[in-house]
Amino acid sequence: MEQSNAGSPRSGGAQRMLRAAVVGSGGISKEHLSFLSGQSHLTGTSVHHAQLVGVCDLSPVSAQYAARTYGEAEAFTNLNTMLAEAKPEVVHILTPPTSHVPLATACLQAGSHVICEKPITTTSAELDALLDIAAGADRRVMESHNYRFNAGTEELAEALSSGKLGTLREVEVRIALPVTDPAGRFGDPNLPSPIHQLPAGVIHDFTTHFAYLLLHFAKGVHFDRIAAAWSNHDENPLFRYDNLDALLIGTGPEGPVHGRLRFDAGAGPDQFSLRVYGSDGWAETDLFQPNIRVVMPRSGGGQLSPIVNHVVNGASLFRDGVANVGRKIMQRTPYEGLHRMLAMTYEALATGGELPVTVSDMRATSRLVDSIIADKVRI
Amino acid sequence: MKIYITGATGFVGSAVVHQALQAGHEVCAVVRPASKHQLDDHGTGRISEARVDLRSIDGLADSLEDVDIVIHLAAAKAGDFATQFAGTVVATENLLAAMETAGVKRLIGISTFSVYDYLALKPGDLVDESSPTDQTPKLRDEYAQTKLIQEDLYRAFAEKDDNQLVILRPGMIYGRDNLWHALLGAEMGPRFLKIGSKATLPLTFVDNCADAIVLAAEVLHDAPHRVNGEVINIVDDNLPTQSDYATKVAARIDVPQSIQVPWPAMNAAASALKKGNQVLLNGRAKFPGIAVPDRLHARFKPLNYTNAKAKDLLGWVPRRSLDEAIELSSTEVTT
Repeated sequence: MEQSNAGSPRSGGAQRMLRAAVVGSGGISKEHLSFLSGQSHLTGTSVHHAQLVGVCDLSPVSAQYAARTYGEAEAFTNLNTMLAEAKPEVVHILTPPTSHVPLATACLQAGSHVICEKPITTTSAELDALLDIAAGADRRVMESHNYRFNAGTEELAEALSSGKLGTLREVEVRIALPVTDPAGRFGDPNLPSPIHQLPAGVIHDFTTHFAYLLLHFAKGVHFDRIAAAWSNHDENPLFRYDNLDALLIGTGPEGPVHGRLRFDAGAGPDQFSLRVYGSDGWAETDLFQPNIRVVMPRSGGGQLSPIVNHVVNGASLFRDGVANVGRKIMQRTPYEGLHRMLAMTYEALATGGELPVTVSDMRATSRLVDSIIADKVRI
Repeated sequence: MKIYITGATGFVGSAVVHQALQAGHEVCAVVRPASKHQLDDHGTGRISEARVDLRSIDGLADSLEDVDIVIHLAAAKAGDFATQFAGTVVATENLLAAMETAGVKRLIGISTFSVYDYLALKPGDLVDESSPTDQTPKLRDEYAQTKLIQEDLYRAFAEKDDNQLVILRPGMIYGRDNLWHALLGAEMGPRFLKIGSKATLPLTFVDNCADAIVLAAEVLHDAPHRVNGEVINIVDDNLPTQSDYATKVAARIDVPQSIQVPWPAMNAAASALKKGNQVLLNGRAKFPGIAVPDRLHARFKPLNYTNAKAKDLLGWVPRRSLDEAIELSSTEVTT
């Protein structure tokens, strides 16, 4: 059976409010809950289709705090009780990845749609099974691919699709985060994060981002040559790996495309950069400090283009520098894409439209993650 | 009696462990699983350790076996809200649940002066245990928000069965390596922005504070009718002003180069910013803590303080004067 991308149209149209609940009130829940409470100013729309009715966490005080802070929802410590009493139409699963499948299954079988943090499952086989359950229950399940919906990502995709950069040659996604810091949530040796249990450890958690971003830019490309160097340079015993250097080569409708995926826990400062290279030009951004730089043929021909590129990108750097001060003050964080994605998701669920992350997006992402962490591609 | 002390390896915890041993008690010190801290029994042979992380309930109840009273000092003082919520609120929730399982009924809950509603107080007001606590702390820092929730958990514990509770609210605790602190100002790049000079500082020297904490445990154990259910503020005698304190500290240790900003000027600027944020930006803008009146007032507002209740109920007398405390602290720093 197959979950359809588009759900059944529902009565009420644009004004329909969906009863929503959250499972897990850890760090990322703040973003989901502020969206559900209607407090978010990052959605890009004034239409709000969600009503928070329940928060579930094993810690009673955590559930109560979240339920009280973000609305007048009820707090629960048992998922089945919440499903039976609050009767949510949509459940956001924000717990550690290894718990996603049983929780999502319970929600789908109780009649709730599911929005799940990444990675939704630890293998693509698990994802296939979960999608079958969703189809059998006539419910929809969606993995969060939040950074796809950041303004910077969209601008790069637009630069590519407009043809300004020519045909795509290469995509590079680079993340630098000090995940091994003992004061951070992954590096704390006193209470190791459950994320360490993923097959590729903490970097596995980021590999979903790598995969969906690469596939977003390299549409229709099948990556059949993959080599991945997984390393633990600092030899921190808590970590399986602290560094990933992956090279992917595939063929798409317009020819060969390379993908380069880098994670470095030792490089600074924090970085989440995207670069796309085309046959005529290239463009880059950093989702943590948004600034779009586009180097491409400009008016003035081959001789003046480099100078025009410098001037245009210099002006853009100054403009974005000022804008980023404003973003900091106005709390526009790199999670802006998550809010936008959730608004689109609820719009789709309320109207029966296509979800922003489709079943085929999830399958392709999960299969690519499988490939990147597979033993046979390791160097 | 056997005292279970959380946060035992920290700045205050180490002093409380020392004082509890000096007073003849048996101590079970909570040490985090990966800590390399070596406990010092000060030659008494009366210390044991519990290797647990309070953010997980695993093993907590077992570690409380035969304990007479818990002194709960552990809290998260840094990190984002989720980190501090886990380290302060969830940790306390787990500890109290484990105490219930283990049948431990006496608790000294360490809170903080940060829980008071400083915007509701007028300059010069006396801060005592009856002063209002912040009921809408959304604009306060993560520490104040999580400590307020922690106090709610303490009270819920006290309402159950025949549990007994004293909440202690120390002011700013100073001592070795903690002489230059957040009530003097804020770091601003390479400089230090001193905010105000005349406000009285609600200080307590770490050894004086440790005395009060151990005394509270003893009184709750021996004469619960005197203190059960009470909230007690802990500040020393003869509290200095910001400028007096800064001058004394600067005479003993290296302090950062400072720029002085008068309290009225800083208060006016932060108030204007808050009003502008509300009117023009619907309150969505986020500014540094010293530019948010709710946080600024909590640190720098000129107020008065009393330790009368601590002296009356606990028989506490701060044993070290300010000068002695600074000398002891700075000697330790420089040797």
